[in-house]
Amino acid sequence: MLLEINHIQKSFDNLAVLKDVSLKVNSGDVITILGRSGSGKTTLLRCLNFLERADKGDMLFDGTHYDLHAAPKSQIAALRKKTGFVFQDYNLFINKTALKNVTEGLIAGHGMKRAEAEDIGMEMLRRVGMAEKRDSYPHELSGGQQQRVAIARAMAANPRIIFFDEPTSALDPQLVGEVLAVMRSLAEGGMTMMVVTHEMNFARNVSTRTVLMHEGEIAEEAPPSEFFTHPRSEAARRFLSLEGK
Amino acid sequence: MTRAERVWQLLTTSFSQILIPGLEVTIPLTVISFVFGLIIALLTALVQVAHIKGLRSLARFYVWIFRGTPMLVQLYIVFYGLPKMGLILDAIPSALIVFSLNTGAYASETMRAAIEAVPKGQMEAGLCAGMSYTDVMFRLILPQALRTAFPPLSNTLIGLVKDTSLAANITVTEMFLAAQRIAARTYEPFVLYCEVGVLYLLICTVLTRLQRICEKKLERRGPRAA
Ligand SMILES: Nc1ncnc2c1ncn2[C@@H]1O[C@H](COP(=O)(O)OP(=O)(O)O)[C@@H](O)[C@H]1O
Ligand SMILES: [Mg+2]
Repeated sequence: MLLEINHIQKSFDNLAVLKDVSLKVNSGDVITILGRSGSGKTTLLRCLNFLERADKGDMLFDGTHYDLHAAPKSQIAALRKKTGFVFQDYNLFINKTALKNVTEGLIAGHGMKRAEAEDIGMEMLRRVGMAEKRDSYPHELSGGQQQRVAIARAMAANPRIIFFDEPTSALDPQLVGEVLAVMRSLAEGGMTMMVVTHEMNFARNVSTRTVLMHEGEIAEEAPPSEFFTHPRSEAARRFLSLEGK
Repeated sequence: MTRAERVWQLLTTSFSQILIPGLEVTIPLTVISFVFGLIIALLTALVQVAHIKGLRSLARFYVWIFRGTPMLVQLYIVFYGLPKMGLILDAIPSALIVFSLNTGAYASETMRAAIEAVPKGQMEAGLCAGMSYTDVMFRLILPQALRTAFPPLSNTLIGLVKDTSLAANITVTEMFLAAQRIAARTYEPFVLYCEVGVLYLLICTVLTRLQRICEKKLERRGPRAA
């Protein structure tokens, strides 16, 4: 077991966004998280990386216990060094080249020497097919290219898990494929991933488990083969009929 | 000697008498106050965006006072007022203190706005890449913010060049006071005040040119934060 999330709760003002969510993730799992907009998917991922403080809940990650409400700063810093996060709108560092986007965290966060960080950075860019753009600034790259650099950045410190929050939702349709291909090869390389997505084919063909979020709860959790053919819950059946699958 | 000849002679003799205080007082006063002002501004902006509790209200209070009172009044308080409270400062240090604190108050608002204009995702992405808040702030957020802040800060600098003339009121012999003294002696206020005006204009024109060149350089390294 790599990650065990227990009873997360989170409200914004009076809106209960996560109502008691628990989930187990094994090393090598690719979990796709599906669900309608507003069901709490983003908030769930953000709580796991402490970008958002949960009201309650705890988790066991890589042998360490974390109080999701009250974890101290030092613990959070250590956790973030073992995880990667890919955002819907890429969030590449605007004033840094593609290569620097990957190496910045290695140097400033992980205390790596520049030369070593650049070797790793180039290797990561190669893996996402962006090596020849090493000196381009984000504004010189397409959305798909930016997201591939963002994935390279998330992979760079060899994290135990990478969280993806709708990594292809901001992309023009013709650019979605290149990003999904990178994610797929990452999954095939054994990376543990939690992926919030609306790409049903990715969920069906790449993920090891599918989780459906509905109104702040996990409505269904199953291998994709079962989830897409025999959904058990009413929420899942309705979700799938709306997705037209 | 015709009047024109007399005016010409006055201009040529007074030129160096005004220029020298300009080089020796106006420009150093401006540069030093601006540098101190920027340091104060950076600290003042940072304690506000980082939500450091006590310091944050202190910063707001400081900005409120210095933006809300005339610089001339501040100069009088420091130079003529503080000695009555037992704190005697020479004219130049008084001017430096007031100009630095004033610049700091205005520039801190510029910097705060520029930092807040950097998209929130930049900080989050930096934290997720394993960096500390401070590292992200200094390595990523501030460089982006300073680019946004560069044009308004240049404006502040140009404003400061002219505002140093207020120091004439507390006996600092900068360009304006030098011109004023010659005008009183020669009964040629029109000539002398036009002359000193032109000198200020020259300095500001040079600064504006420099600003353009720097902005071009910055632009080549990608766009500013939206
Ligand atoms: N920072 C926030 N402040 C207030 N409400 C928020 C905030 N973030 C999310 N919400 C609300 O929480 C709910 C769930 O949001 P989110 O987790 O983003 O859902 P999803 O990613 O599934 O679309 C939404 O109703 C959203 O408006
Ligand atoms: Mg979302």
